[in-house]
Amino acid sequence: MTETHRPTENSAGTSIKPPMTQAAAEAPMRPNRYLTSADLLLRYAMVLVLVVLTIIAESFYHGFFHFANLNIAIDQAVPVGIIAVGMTFVIIGGGFDLSVGSTYAGAGVIFASVSNHMPLWVAFICTVIGGLVAGGVNAVIITKLNVNTFIATLASSSVILGAAYVYAPSGSVSATASGFAALGTDEWGGIWIATYTLVAVLVVGGVALSRTPYGRSVYAIGGNKEAARLCGMRVKMIQGSTFLISGACAAVAGVITASQTGVGSATIGTDTALDVITVVIIGGTSLLGGEGAMWRTFVGILIWGTLTNIFGTLAISSSVQLLITGGVLVFAVSMDSLSRRLRH
Amino acid sequence: MRSLLRRQAWVASDRGRQHDVTGEGAALYGVGAEVGPAVRTEDLTKTYGSVRALKSVSMSVPAGSVHALVGENGAGKSTMLGILAGRTTPSGGRIEIYGSEPRYGDPRAARRAGVVAIYQELTIVPALSAEANVFLPNPVVRGGMLSSQRMRARYVELCEQVGVKAVSAGTPAGHLSVAEQQLLEILRALVSDTRIILFDEPTASLAVPERRSLLTLIRDLRERGVTIIFVSHNLDEVLEIADDVTVFRNGHLVISDRRPQFTKPSLVRAMIGNKDNRVLAEMIEDSSGPAAATRRPARPAPTSSSTAPPVLAVSGLTVPGAVEGVELEIHAGEILGIGGLVGSGRTTVLRSMSGLEPRARGRMWLDGREVSWPHTVRQALRYGIALVPEDRKAQGLVLSMSAMENIAMSDYRRVARAGFVTDRMVERATQELSRTFGLQEGRLRHQASKLSGGNQQKLLIARWQHRLPRVLLADEPTRGIDVGVKTEVLSTLESMVAKGLALVLVSSELEEVTAVAHRVLVLSEGAHVGTLIPSGDNRISVTDILHLAFRSGSDQQALSRSLQSGA
Repeated sequence: MTETHRPTENSAGTSIKPPMTQAAAEAPMRPNRYLTSADLLLRYAMVLVLVVLTIIAESFYHGFFHFANLNIAIDQAVPVGIIAVGMTFVIIGGGFDLSVGSTYAGAGVIFASVSNHMPLWVAFICTVIGGLVAGGVNAVIITKLNVNTFIATLASSSVILGAAYVYAPSGSVSATASGFAALGTDEWGGIWIATYTLVAVLVVGGVALSRTPYGRSVYAIGGNKEAARLCGMRVKMIQGSTFLISGACAAVAGVITASQTGVGSATIGTDTALDVITVVIIGGTSLLGGEGAMWRTFVGILIWGTLTNIFGTLAISSSVQLLITGGVLVFAVSMDSLSRRLRH
Repeated sequence: MRSLLRRQAWVASDRGRQHDVTGEGAALYGVGAEVGPAVRTEDLTKTYGSVRALKSVSMSVPAGSVHALVGENGAGKSTMLGILAGRTTPSGGRIEIYGSEPRYGDPRAARRAGVVAIYQELTIVPALSAEANVFLPNPVVRGGMLSSQRMRARYVELCEQVGVKAVSAGTPAGHLSVAEQQLLEILRALVSDTRIILFDEPTASLAVPERRSLLTLIRDLRERGVTIIFVSHNLDEVLEIADDVTVFRNGHLVISDRRPQFTKPSLVRAMIGNKDNRVLAEMIEDSSGPAAATRRPARPAPTSSSTAPPVLAVSGLTVPGAVEGVELEIHAGEILGIGGLVGSGRTTVLRSMSGLEPRARGRMWLDGREVSWPHTVRQALRYGIALVPEDRKAQGLVLSMSAMENIAMSDYRRVARAGFVTDRMVERATQELSRTFGLQEGRLRHQASKLSGGNQQKLLIARWQHRLPRVLLADEPTRGIDVGVKTEVLSTLESMVAKGLALVLVSSELEEVTAVAHRVLVLSEGAHVGTLIPSGDNRISVTDILHLAFRSGSDQQALSRSLQSGA
């Protein structure tokens, strides 16, 4: 991203090419060993799945590719998508965050109730801080008490949801502030603001993950904690920070959902954590940490959005929905393990 | 029970034959000719994608012999072992085990044919007792229930048979040493009707006395008619124990002959083929033990040492239960070797100095200024102390990331511009290093897991060259890598030292330590027993280290055995 703005770097880049080709010539023995077609196929298998799904969708109901339909499909995937960006950091860093559902729901409650007394932007900031606090609690439990991420976030999930119910015993808070629905329902150029938010979060997350020392440290820690520690990385701090990111993303998603529905409801997050993990894994990010990418999460979001759209449009029963989603997930995970076996 | 009787029957008959044998290697062929070879392969081929790991290999292993497979990494010896063990399916060719063809690629079929493989990664279940591990695949059952009494009796009997002291049967295997765990695997092999044992690097993780007893055990097994096929990087061992040696290179069988036909230089030559002669010569001399030490001129201690304070000085380093009272100092441009056997505390000393031992106590001076003892890696790195860890894969590399990433990760700030890093920046930052370290630049983008052991080691060293520490602690930098690359790795380290790095080197290959170190600190059972400094023309020899290491210990027997192996 930075090179495109710097011609000097580009020229330096091209000057590097000759020695590279020379090095390639030094190893003529096995030129294709590292990038076989099977490897490529497995690596981009989920992109193919996405393409196939869209073709299936279009053939079942013409109009899938219509702007209005795509707009809705993506809009529906926004909350899950935003949380998935945070989850991508957590999973690549070698963890899991099961508390995102509760944080997501709790954030809606905070946002709705604070906005009833304060300006919207204050409510927004309070909500994000709430998300960061939830993530911070996870981080402390995981890095200071050395609790497994799965268990720690399972426990904190319950605590956060409990707190939300203590705060709003009825389980929901109706918002009365004017403009409360703006983030969820306003459009700009025919596309919902929420969609722009998702794109912005994806881009910022993607750049942070792949183009900063921080992001690369996340990969290193997820790939081999001990090696990362021996390189002088702040392993605990960085792993903890992925939970902060995840908490903040869940909070933003909660704000958007509250804004879309006009209600802060504590009941919306029951399936969210697993949906989000599904999205991240469907894209091809490895469950084991250390491998994956933000574009993969983007592909996962699109697959998830397409599936949701197909289910909704064709009024597919929820039992069949479960079967299909499960099947796609199994496919994604088996691709991951196949390509792993091929490469190691 | 029936199988046991059968085994003992043929063991007895074979032993009978062995008794009138005097000249080991030659006469064994006679035995082999009578009963036919234990293993015979014909045009065995194995391809992985476009890579041909084995190319039409035909070999024969006489029954009741010890057969060594040697070659550089990737030469095909491990593939051969895998095919015999039924772990790998050959792409073509034929195998016969005692005259009959087993089903290929089926470990159970190989087992039924009497073949057991013992790999470097042992298949011990740590939580189960020693005894339970031995009977894991073939439990002694009476009336559908495990009979622990009978198993206990069999266990003791087995230990007596192979002439080893019985490891306490009830101890969880996880509490045993690697050598003891390996012994359990051998016992496990003997429980079933095993005629052929395959070993992959059996002595790689053993201390010297344990190596000796394993070699003795292998000889005993041969006496009993068991055929042993083993892969080893340790050529001294190969020449000591094997009846026959087969050399692989690039998937080809280069030569297969009786042991007396080989010398160490001829083995090395066969293994590496026509490489640069200079490298070859250096390698043979380097690897031929302490005798080679006299070849090189004695290294003068770095001139700066007399005037400047040492870069790093340590005194009274103590880690409870591991090391006590270690003192050392090291100057810029100097290599300090740490000699001692496995378990002497060598690794703990390095780990303490790199901030990995929270319980370490001691005093540390940098350039003569006292600093607090580093208890975190980051603190040690701030002092300029970096560690190349012993276990490349578990502690060193992030295998899922690219080679260049593994180099750059020691310091991303050197790579980043305005807080951003791209692949191209990483590549550019590491290209120069890869060139000086003899890594092909084209491989920089490859996953670290795909590189050979030698190249992986180079990555780890290049990683620190990227960050430029003042003191580098290298733990076993040449373990498990090709003979040729060993010299490369050592000379890379030497060139870094020539530019002012201070290096602390730990290696199980004491010859390596004596060949490159200016001074050698000797540890024995966690105690600092002395420091060897070459005086005049006298080089430090492996014997010196072992003398010092054993002087404090009471194990004189171990001393004499080790000296035999060392000299």
